[in-house]
Amino acid sequence: MNSSVVSTQERTEGRHSRLLAAQEAVNNILLGKDHQVRLAFCCLLARGHLLIEDVPGVGKTTLAHAMARTIGSDYQRIQFTSDLLPADILGVSIFKREKDTFEFHPGPIFSQVILADEVNRATPKTQSALLEGMAEGQVTIENDTHVLPSPFFVMATQNPVDLVGTYPLPDSQLDRFLLSFSLGYPDPVAERELLTSEDRSRMLNRTEALLTPGDIHGLQEDCEKIHASENLLDYIQALLLETRDERWFETGLSPRAGLALLNASRAHAFLENRDFVTPEDVKTIFVGLARHRLSPTSGFSQSPEEQIGELLDQVPIP
Amino acid sequence: MIDPGRKTVYWVIATLSLAMLPQLVRMPPLVAAIAVLPLAWRVTAERKEWPALPALLRHAMTAVGLLSLFFSYGDLSGRRAAVSLLAVMLSLKMMECYRVRDARLVVCFSLFLCATQFLFAQGIVMPFYGVTSVIVALVTLTRLHRNEAWSHEGEPPAIKSSLFSELGFSLRLLALAVPAGLAFFLLFPRLSSPLWGIPETTLDSKTGLSDSMSPGSIQQLFMDDSPAFRVEFEGPAPRPDERYWRGPVFWQFDGKTWRQSFYSRNIVATSRPDAGQSASRYSVQMEPNERNWLFALDYPVTVPRDTRLTLDYQLIRRDPVIQLMQYSMTSNPDFIDAPDLPETLRYQALKVPEKSSPRTRELVERWRRETPDDRAFIQRVLSHFNEQPFHYSLEAPLLGRHPVDEFLFETRMGFCEHYASTFAVMMRLADIPSRIVTGYQGGWYNPLGNYLLVRQSDAHAWTEVWLPASGWTRVDPTAAVSPLRIQQGSLGAMGAPRHFLDYSWLRQARNSVDIIQQRWNDWVIEYGAGSQARLFEPLGLGEMTPARLVVVLFIAMGIFSAILFPLVLRIKGPGYKDPVQQIWQKFLKRLQSMGFTALPSSGALELADAASLQIPSETDSIQRIADLYTRCRYSPDPPPLNDLKHAVGEFRPNKKAG
Repeated sequence: MNSSVVSTQERTEGRHSRLLAAQEAVNNILLGKDHQVRLAFCCLLARGHLLIEDVPGVGKTTLAHAMARTIGSDYQRIQFTSDLLPADILGVSIFKREKDTFEFHPGPIFSQVILADEVNRATPKTQSALLEGMAEGQVTIENDTHVLPSPFFVMATQNPVDLVGTYPLPDSQLDRFLLSFSLGYPDPVAERELLTSEDRSRMLNRTEALLTPGDIHGLQEDCEKIHASENLLDYIQALLLETRDERWFETGLSPRAGLALLNASRAHAFLENRDFVTPEDVKTIFVGLARHRLSPTSGFSQSPEEQIGELLDQVPIP
Repeated sequence: MIDPGRKTVYWVIATLSLAMLPQLVRMPPLVAAIAVLPLAWRVTAERKEWPALPALLRHAMTAVGLLSLFFSYGDLSGRRAAVSLLAVMLSLKMMECYRVRDARLVVCFSLFLCATQFLFAQGIVMPFYGVTSVIVALVTLTRLHRNEAWSHEGEPPAIKSSLFSELGFSLRLLALAVPAGLAFFLLFPRLSSPLWGIPETTLDSKTGLSDSMSPGSIQQLFMDDSPAFRVEFEGPAPRPDERYWRGPVFWQFDGKTWRQSFYSRNIVATSRPDAGQSASRYSVQMEPNERNWLFALDYPVTVPRDTRLTLDYQLIRRDPVIQLMQYSMTSNPDFIDAPDLPETLRYQALKVPEKSSPRTRELVERWRRETPDDRAFIQRVLSHFNEQPFHYSLEAPLLGRHPVDEFLFETRMGFCEHYASTFAVMMRLADIPSRIVTGYQGGWYNPLGNYLLVRQSDAHAWTEVWLPASGWTRVDPTAAVSPLRIQQGSLGAMGAPRHFLDYSWLRQARNSVDIIQQRWNDWVIEYGAGSQARLFEPLGLGEMTPARLVVVLFIAMGIFSAILFPLVLRIKGPGYKDPVQQIWQKFLKRLQSMGFTALPSSGALELADAASLQIPSETDSIQRIADLYTRCRYSPDPPPLNDLKHAVGEFRPNKKAG
């Protein structure tokens, strides 16, 4: 593959098949969660960040870990706790007596893939240190601006907000995550296999990187070329408009969310090996995109997912 | 930009041309040329893609246009000049009409210009012409509107709207306006005389009888087939040889031309005929001729409003007839006109210029000596006309210094005015008072409409002589020469056609078709202030004042709007349906007939999965159609539409069983 005569198309096809292999590898570790794994890859390809929400022990960390391993990038895990400080994430400047200067020691945020475990256990100040870096692709420490590496992919996990000892993320910061989903309990077949097969952490350690940072860059660029027709844009706009109707949600989706929806749908189409986006791609992405951004109007007893599903049923496909 | 490559500007030009055409015919040649020039320039400029004219040149053209209007009309008041001004200005506007706003202005004013033609002509053809112009204008406005709506997008989308759909759309709009138009026609308060009722005789070349008669003057009318008036009789119509419609009467003769006398025009008849036993009652519907005479059979018993009956029983109206006019008449043919002739009138009726017609003078003197009795003398002259080779002919040679002499002894070919004039002169020379009466003789009886149609070509001139005891007596020398003229009308008497289209069957057809015009006159043109006041009499509402009419009009318009408004909202313009969607809908209908109902919110592929579960036997074709549809709709390079068409066409619900 390192021959210079390899055509662009072959290169594209090569990294596309490696991408599918990576996806398959993650599926092997996290049993019965194909849908969530696909969403996680969409998020990576659309240059977004991922939020995984669920109770402890259903495999959040395992998913993030498996993703990080297979996409083979420089990877750091940050365990958020209530006493974690911003400097623990960003890094510190230490005075070097020999050189008579301050020297910057970069923190764990200076990695390509970050697993921010239990992000809602840390104080808001510490949370915002991470989230600012996610939004801007750079951090500023004591007047020095440090550019974060690229690709830069954050997977955050969080426990449901009603558990004791959590600081819920504010809406404005939730918006930084492109997609979110919950994993849920495995189905009986998958659970039995989990119980009988080998230990997951050992499998993780054995897992090899299947993609390079260069591949990820290339794949991200490929995704942007996926065609979205006028009819499809009509549908996306119709969806956005419907979320802004007061009878559903307190506030609707922002234009940024709309753009994110389009990009993630492109990534989904790309994973499906299509060169154009269909309304099905949009519908698949939509729940994951909207569930952490929208809060149902008070008076509804339904969960956001149910509410969003109902909204999807209301919007005809043009 | 009026149109990015869609040539709507030609539609604007067509609209204006259609509106201008009827006016162009009435304009003086100079003004007409100036009205046409900018249009011609614009058409050429569009074809050759010339740039716009500089402003200075446009101003200069406008000045030239105004000057030529002044030059042709004297001033700019009066309907003719005002309408010409409008037409010329609109035409000049085309030199600077490059934006949708300007184009719309031209089209709207064209509609107004189109309406002005009713100031000049109210015939039955005009409304059809008007409707055509309005439809063209509506199509143009539709196109302009669409171009404007897409002006920010560059080119409008390739809408598959044919000319037919645009015409249909315009027709529908027009049809919606019909009730409102009808309401305004019936209910808008009318004035008893039109606002534009200023006769402009100087420019009008209306044909009709005039206030003098010289050889050839009636002959001109003979070529004109336009209707003069129509008559409906209450009883049976009189025989053709009794249908003498009395018009201008002439007393004074200068050797060539007969003129009216001051007395006869201004002195009112002292004795009125009474409606005797054999009186006939009829109503006359007269076409506008911009003259003052009303026509009636001898002798008028009743006198219409604003009209006087002169001593020689002419009906002279105070104002010229400038619009269709209806009047009822009663005539008594048995009345004796002037049993005693006053000396002044007798003198008038015997005056012949000295030294004129010496040969005739000599002949009359000789005959008078031989035949001293008045009636016998009249008979002798008539027999002379009858027995000698005199001809009733259109090709009368021009007459010189002594027309009577030349006609009587040399040419012997002439039209009714030659005979009447010669006969009257001979009577005067023989000391028998005589005068000339002009008018119309005969007419064509339309059995369908039960009315008599009198055309300009029926114009006639005859003579009246005064005899003791019987008073003024009608003598028609033309009848002695050509009895057919009186029996069958002038056209029948002539034999040869007047021009290449002049066939007797064609004339017959034209006369029959005239009933349409007559009905139009009765129901539309004649509908005026009077008919309006009586409009609701059958409903027992009494007389309608203008105020009441306005109230009814408002109520009617309110009702129409209430009915029409929802209709108008539902009208769709020349629409466009995506062919892919049409085929897809067909497919969905077929699925439905198989018991599968699709949610509008489900995508094609989703739907295919669900449908396949329900109809497993058709899984392959359903998936294929869904895949084709999705690619047609969302892919950057869609497959040919025919693939989808065929796939759906082959998908038959009946195959389910097999």
